[in-house]
Amino acid sequence: MIRFTWLQFRVQAGVALAALAAFAAVLMVTGPHLASLYAGSAITGCRGGSCANAANTFLSRLTTTSPYPTVYELGIALVLIAPAITGIFWGAPLIAREFEAGTHRLAWTQSITRTQWLAVKLALTCLAAMAVTETLSLMLAWWADPISKAIGIGGPYPPGSVFGQVRLGSFIFATSGITPLGYAAFGFALGTATGTFIRRAVPAMAVTLAIFAAVQVAIPLWVRPHLIPPNRTVVSGPSFFQAASMSVGTLTATTVPGQTEALIVSSGAINASGQPVSTIPVACLSDSPVKANAPPDLGTCMASRGIREAITYQPASRYWPFQWLETGIFLALALALAGTCFWRLGRRRN
Amino acid sequence: MSFVIEASGLSKQYGRRWALRDCALAIPEGKVVGLVGPNGAGKTTLLHLAVGLLAPTSGSIRVLGASPADGPAQLGRVGFVAQDTPVYTRLSVGRHLRMGAWLNPNWDKETAEGRIEQLGLDPRQRAGTLSGGQRAQLALTLAIAKRPECLVLDEPVASLDPVARRDFLSSLMEIVAAQGISVVLSSHLVADLERVCDYLVVLVASKVQVAGEVSELLSSHHRLSGARRDAGSLPANQEVIEESHTDRQSTFLVRTSDPVHDPAWTVRPVTLDDLVIAYMSRPADPERTHRPQLKVTS
Repeated sequence: MIRFTWLQFRVQAGVALAALAAFAAVLMVTGPHLASLYAGSAITGCRGGSCANAANTFLSRLTTTSPYPTVYELGIALVLIAPAITGIFWGAPLIAREFEAGTHRLAWTQSITRTQWLAVKLALTCLAAMAVTETLSLMLAWWADPISKAIGIGGPYPPGSVFGQVRLGSFIFATSGITPLGYAAFGFALGTATGTFIRRAVPAMAVTLAIFAAVQVAIPLWVRPHLIPPNRTVVSGPSFFQAASMSVGTLTATTVPGQTEALIVSSGAINASGQPVSTIPVACLSDSPVKANAPPDLGTCMASRGIREAITYQPASRYWPFQWLETGIFLALALALAGTCFWRLGRRRN
Repeated sequence: MSFVIEASGLSKQYGRRWALRDCALAIPEGKVVGLVGPNGAGKTTLLHLAVGLLAPTSGSIRVLGASPADGPAQLGRVGFVAQDTPVYTRLSVGRHLRMGAWLNPNWDKETAEGRIEQLGLDPRQRAGTLSGGQRAQLALTLAIAKRPECLVLDEPVASLDPVARRDFLSSLMEIVAAQGISVVLSSHLVADLERVCDYLVVLVASKVQVAGEVSELLSSHHRLSGARRDAGSLPANQEVIEESHTDRQSTFLVRTSDPVHDPAWTVRPVTLDDLVIAYMSRPADPERTHRPQLKVTS
């Protein structure tokens, strides 16, 4: 059955290997030069406080150095969609196409039980899907190593750019570590299970895509933040409001002091009695009509009025606990969907 | 006597629809059995239950004395050629044979390769580009080379042209002659069955209307025609299968194990076609159709 599974799967496997090879070629061509840029930057040989600046400068330059931002974005996108692709093109047709062509009547009347037939097919193809996604993720991690190192030294920078994301942020978190394994297993099992219900390849592929996309939106929005309750901190003092660690217009924090790679869940200014403050007091504005009485700068002005910043965040140290939790959830979903496939193909239901 | 297929109270329900309901039959081993009936009679469902593609909703079915698809060994004892003879269109003929070898421990490589060669098929040709007749022959080869004890074929020639149909049936005859295995073959075309079958089962709306050796069926059925008379006036040993009347004349198709001596009748033999059509168009008789089992002769 293993050999027969391979016989039916080899074309798809070939396509996947070609895609992996093409991606590897792009990374091999650009990777060494990226590493040499890092080696030649001011980060090498920096001391103490200058390192963060050097790292920020390196990342800032990189945003305008073709083709690195593009390759990085492309790589992230590829790792993100790989589980969907394998779910749609490997999972959904796996059983649906057998029903569509009527070949299930040929396959299930050979001297092998249907359970064994399905077990081998599911296991091998699922492992292949997981291997493809994880390989893409590892190749990207190898290529992006200088970027990760710079972020580790100076924090994500510049804000809003492709290099301005923390490891716990949606895109990096979902494309690094072991989560790609969970997504790939889930996407594949979802496609296969959908195929056992719809039994026609193309509609099954469409439904797989819709469900997978919905899950990938819902999990980071509504599930992941609650897996471990976020930490809360209140920052006071003029330096926070003076530094570029907040967005002045909305009074929200962009970094957590002392925690360069923390993921901010929510933030906002509060007054001395703990009530939220939504706008900067008129007196503290630089072009204030009451400027004569205004303190020298925004930070001192805010601090003198007892205004502080409350931040809830996930520390960077929770990267691995979150990775394990999320991967576990997706692997459990994949197992449940695989069980659904066995149940759907039972002799009573066909 | 051992049976190739033995069923009682066999039912299969899909949602609210009964594909097969309370079917009882016993098909003796070692015969080439034709299963004939109108579309929707439950032939395909019955055969799928026999090869283990389906499990019954209620009732029981035994194939070669065991429960169908009860593990790899039982699957290996039954060869199946499904309706429209499905094959993997993208795999070549040769790869189909390799699939057969991988998935069937008793695979007969020589027979399989010999048949493909004899049929003049190129092992490298994709199965999707084969003609309907060639595809059916490939499906038959796969079913035979696993060395089954019985072969089940679901309308294997329904979609074939007359030449391919003749070739397929003669292949089947050769296999039966060479291996002496039991064959169950469904069709709605009596002419095909007449050529190959020595035993006939007529299935209408899940019920066996008649079953028996073809030669016995032919010798025990007669067409009687003569002056008009009522069916009730016929002797008790003559079961009326079909009757038609004009103003002056009556024609009956009767089943009787005794010779018909009444000089008032013109007695003519029946063809298998007449016989099947008579049974298929017979009005459903609750008392008769609930009779649990038919007699198995010989």
